[in-house]
Amino acid sequence: MAEHRLEATVNGREVTAMVEPRLTLADFLREKLRLTGTHLGCEHGVCGACTVLVDGAAIRSCLAFAIQMQGCSITTVEGLTPDSGELTDVQAAFRAEHGLQCGFCTPGFVVSATALLAERPDLTAAEVREGLSGNLCRCTGYQGIVRAVQSVIRSRQAASSGQQAEAGAAQAAGTTQEAEAGAARAAGVAGS
Amino acid sequence: MSGETAARYVGARVQRLEDPRMLTGRGHYIDDHVVPGMLHAAFVRSPVARGTVTALDVSEAREMPGVAAVFTMDDFRDICQPTWSTITGRDPNALPLKPLADGDVRFAGDPIAIVVAESRYLAEDGAEVVDVDLDAQPPVLDIETGLRSAIVVHPEIGTNLAAHIDAPAEDEKIFADAAYVVTETVVQHRYVAVPMEGRGLVASWEPGRGELTIWAATQAPHEMRSYCARMLGLPEHRVRVVMGDVGGGFGQKMFVTREEMAVVLASYLLARPVRWIEDRAENLLAGGHARQEQATVSMAADADGRLLAARVHHTENVGSYSTPGTGSVGGGVAAFFPGPYRLPVMSFTNQAVYTNTCGRCAYRGPWLFETVAREQMMDVVARATGMDPLELRRVNVLTDDDLPYTSATGVRYERISPAKTLEQAAELIDYDGFRREQAAARAAGRYLGLGLSLYVEPIQTRGVLGSEGAILRIEPTGEIMLIMGTASHGQSVETTMAQIVADELGCDPESIVFLQGDTAVTPWGPGTGGSKTAVIAAGAAHLAAGKMRDKLMRVAEHVLEVSASDLQLSGGRVHVKGDPEAGASFAKLAEAAYLNPAALPADIEPGLLVSARSVAPPSTLSNACHACTVEVDVHTGEVTILRYVVSEDCGRMINPMVVEGQIAGGVAQGVGGVLLEHMVYDAEGNPLTTTFMDYLLPTACEVPDIEYGHVVTPGDTAGGFKGMGEGGAIGSPPAVINAVADALAPLGARITGTPLGPPQVLAAIAAAGGE
Amino acid sequence: MTAEGLLVKAAPFEYHAPETLDEALALLAEFGDEAKVLAGGQSLVPILALRLSRFEHLIDLNRIPALRYVAAADGVTRVGAMTIQAAIGRSEEVRRRVPLLADATARIGHFQIRNRGTIGGSVSHADPAAEYPAVAVTLDAEIDLASVRGTRTVSAADFFTGPLMTTAEPDEILTEIRFGNHVQGSAIAEMARRHGDFALAGAACAVELDAAERVRTLRLGLFGVGSAPVRARAAERAASGVAAGDLDPVAVGQAAVAGLSCVSDVHADAGYRQRVAGHLAGQVVARALQEARHG
Repeated sequence: MAEHRLEATVNGREVTAMVEPRLTLADFLREKLRLTGTHLGCEHGVCGACTVLVDGAAIRSCLAFAIQMQGCSITTVEGLTPDSGELTDVQAAFRAEHGLQCGFCTPGFVVSATALLAERPDLTAAEVREGLSGNLCRCTGYQGIVRAVQSVIRSRQAASSGQQAEAGAAQAAGTTQEAEAGAARAAGVAGS
Repeated sequence: MSGETAARYVGARVQRLEDPRMLTGRGHYIDDHVVPGMLHAAFVRSPVARGTVTALDVSEAREMPGVAAVFTMDDFRDICQPTWSTITGRDPNALPLKPLADGDVRFAGDPIAIVVAESRYLAEDGAEVVDVDLDAQPPVLDIETGLRSAIVVHPEIGTNLAAHIDAPAEDEKIFADAAYVVTETVVQHRYVAVPMEGRGLVASWEPGRGELTIWAATQAPHEMRSYCARMLGLPEHRVRVVMGDVGGGFGQKMFVTREEMAVVLASYLLARPVRWIEDRAENLLAGGHARQEQATVSMAADADGRLLAARVHHTENVGSYSTPGTGSVGGGVAAFFPGPYRLPVMSFTNQAVYTNTCGRCAYRGPWLFETVAREQMMDVVARATGMDPLELRRVNVLTDDDLPYTSATGVRYERISPAKTLEQAAELIDYDGFRREQAAARAAGRYLGLGLSLYVEPIQTRGVLGSEGAILRIEPTGEIMLIMGTASHGQSVETTMAQIVADELGCDPESIVFLQGDTAVTPWGPGTGGSKTAVIAAGAAHLAAGKMRDKLMRVAEHVLEVSASDLQLSGGRVHVKGDPEAGASFAKLAEAAYLNPAALPADIEPGLLVSARSVAPPSTLSNACHACTVEVDVHTGEVTILRYVVSEDCGRMINPMVVEGQIAGGVAQGVGGVLLEHMVYDAEGNPLTTTFMDYLLPTACEVPDIEYGHVVTPGDTAGGFKGMGEGGAIGSPPAVINAVADALAPLGARITGTPLGPPQVLAAIAAAGGE
Repeated sequence: MTAEGLLVKAAPFEYHAPETLDEALALLAEFGDEAKVLAGGQSLVPILALRLSRFEHLIDLNRIPALRYVAAADGVTRVGAMTIQAAIGRSEEVRRRVPLLADATARIGHFQIRNRGTIGGSVSHADPAAEYPAVAVTLDAEIDLASVRGTRTVSAADFFTGPLMTTAEPDEILTEIRFGNHVQGSAIAEMARRHGDFALAGAACAVELDAAERVRTLRLGLFGVGSAPVRARAAERAASGVAAGDLDPVAVGQAAVAGLSCVSDVHADAGYRQRVAGHLAGQVVARALQEARHG
């Protein structure tokens, strides 16, 4: 069957490739681009180990064909890591809360949790579990994963309220410069 | 532990060294591994449970684009030699495994041919056109039929009785005179391991070098090495098995399976690397099943609820081509059925039966049916005597005063604390408070229940399982490498062993690089599984670290010209006690040891490399108590777990975070096993649950928050550590089952086993007339 | 015999990505049975991957922006077939005008599925346990089917004929689904083994009361139980004109499943489905009435 030309952005880099139509996005990322962080746990759209972001939305990459990604911006787990190489807050929380053991489901969870929290920064405990229910883990019993997501919610809320408190205090003091500096300091805290 | 270095890391919740690479998608699993020139395999499998292969035509498949070869058993027959597992030893009753079907098929999914092509896509295209003619025959699918039928699953064995046990006891009078006798048939259904990563390997036979290299998702690289060496008649040191990161195993990856044999043989014939990555449907269909067994149990108790005797008739459905050995776990069930109780007399009979279904493999706590059956029976006895289930257990549990205690089955119990964990679990779950809450809920038409489960967990370290090895190297530049024969695949060994070494050497765990899973480099090990890591691996790491410590001290004596009694290890240096500046870094000591050997005293061997092997006591016991509360919706049959508590004793813990994680994973498998997971065959032996749409794993919504209590009874082991990795899976099923039974007791519903999905719960209620 | 169902890589196909509906229809007409349209892929791609079905040609509808919209006017909410489920869930118009559709959306699978799945795909796929077909049947939605021969409208009541079967011709593409406003009171409930799973039994209800709180219309749909979503017509008729305060939702639920033919499969037998459907039907009737009466 004829191959098609695919042009997409993957982890910020422009990619051009010739792909057979039946090649899944997951296999394209893994086999052609050697981005093997995205894992295959079922290849029929249930386990979530293959989760990636397409134009910011979390999807199951085993249920999309690579050729469908023409013009799209794809982020895999590898693309979440900043240039500094540091763990994101989601990744650091997974580590702190022992949210992984064998690590096979982990990239799918990290990408899903990252997208979930970007869309819905404030979730109850039950909503956290519902939001995570599209990813399967067999090692952890989900304990550390749920705790990790909850701790990111708390930290981000604390950072943004700190940011608001600083900016608010500066405005009350009546100095734009101080307000900006306060916001910058709070942003520094939030980013750490 | 040495008195001079404080336990800074052992006992602490140290974050894992494995995590950064796994969190950033830079782990290296078998599907990530590229061997240049590798071909890809797919299997043609039987669509029927039993039948004769009347024709097998692979010619069209061989002509498909990109197909390099299609092999059948005919191609493998002359090169596949008899082999067996080193870990289990040669079992004369076990069926030697053939990689592919040989003239007949014995379960739906039985591999018939292997197609090797340029890609998995093309291999599957080829597999589709392999022409198999099967004369389907009536299969044997259940235990009863297997025992009665003239149909024999494995004709070369000649009987469907894979194994049996006859261990009667003189108990007629006890049962006749007992105040209470209860009998129940407890059923456990078929459910399976489901690691998130299936099986997989790349096998590469290089005839020019006479070497076979296998990269594999394995739990036991040395086991795979010796098994495959025997299979091909190669000397073991010409075979190398390498494992990278492995996505879970739970026993499925402990022993070499038939497909893996076929892949190795295919590589041998092609002299090309051949890769096979099992897909999920294959893993569910043919990756190894577990758990399907039942027992008719009679228990006799006196007027005060004290257990007098038990009779257990245990039967198992082990499928076809079952492993390890015959696949029977009757011996383990027999040995541990008495559990942590005073049970004076027990008679035990067992029959393990072959059927035309996928064969058993080891799955986390393979013998756990002893706890499942016994703990359900304890509640049956409780209901018969009118005693509260907690009270009944209190009356019978082994206390400190009873120990050491030899059970009716000859197991010696010591260094365990079942009574303490029972009390701690009851306290954590607020037992009395729950009973009040339960009563109030019942008055309001809601059905809450509580289940207890008390057990001991054997850590088998007899014979080949009793020793692990560790090599410690400090490189000429001062970096530390720990090289072990383990095969950690989620057990956090990279971290826990580094904690042990770090404490001994006075350095940080992050400074230790861990290497495992490469048989060319690592010392021989029996694989990771069976709850023994903290016993044998920790022992080896501890011994090696002690030897390195001594070596560093002696080199430091030479370099610093100070007596060892005035030196200490801390901060990654050896220095004068109380004066960190007056010392030498490991790098400096390594320099002296490696780069200036002639200057060393005659009695110091140059270099900084030590090795050690642990020897474990033949067995160790951990124990725990699980307590679980549930609400049952009597309209839909849904069970919601409200709280889940585990009070566990695994001796001293290297890393409590790791211990709790292991418990949690096991509990999730028990919860899933009872409420969701069910491997189902239809009446013709066709599997109905071969995708994740139908085989239901628990998600974050089905597994509750788990609360932990810890009791510490040190083991007779280095550091006092005991193993515990299987315990969560052992204790959880009966805790959940007992809770459901307790919730529905007022309706007269009898729960006698699993599965307990919503339809089964409603059926139990309906059977009691409780509509 | 072949090794069907044990494979996970799709069989080869030609891929087409038309940018207009007319292009897509022309391709479908050209290739007939050998072609299949690809919407969200959340149902179709697993089927292709497991090689349970195969097609020589896949016509991807995701490049046709004209099929993605939610448009509200004159008491009708029009939803383009390729509108993503997540977008429907976020749509203010849907929430205000067809809240049952918004509620149903939250129950579809998981958010990763909803980020790709479409309403047209779900309705065309016609899984008897799916939420959107159930809502369509419950609310008497209208479904537009286009082909090179023109466009026709089918009522949801006539559209679903069996498991994964509809009255759509092989060369037709579902282009739009239309709902009236149903704002007074509605509810959906389902029994699934796990959050996000297909329903073993489900019920959806929308109710309109007149000024005296008598039932003007009660719509009650059942799904997951049989070969297609069904309306409990007899129970609906019995409730018509009855004062809301006089209705016993439990009785309505029981009436809804009286004589209902249900399916048995590995997850549940027919008896279970019927029983639970009756229970859920009672629940959604109660909640819909409650909402209609008290807001």
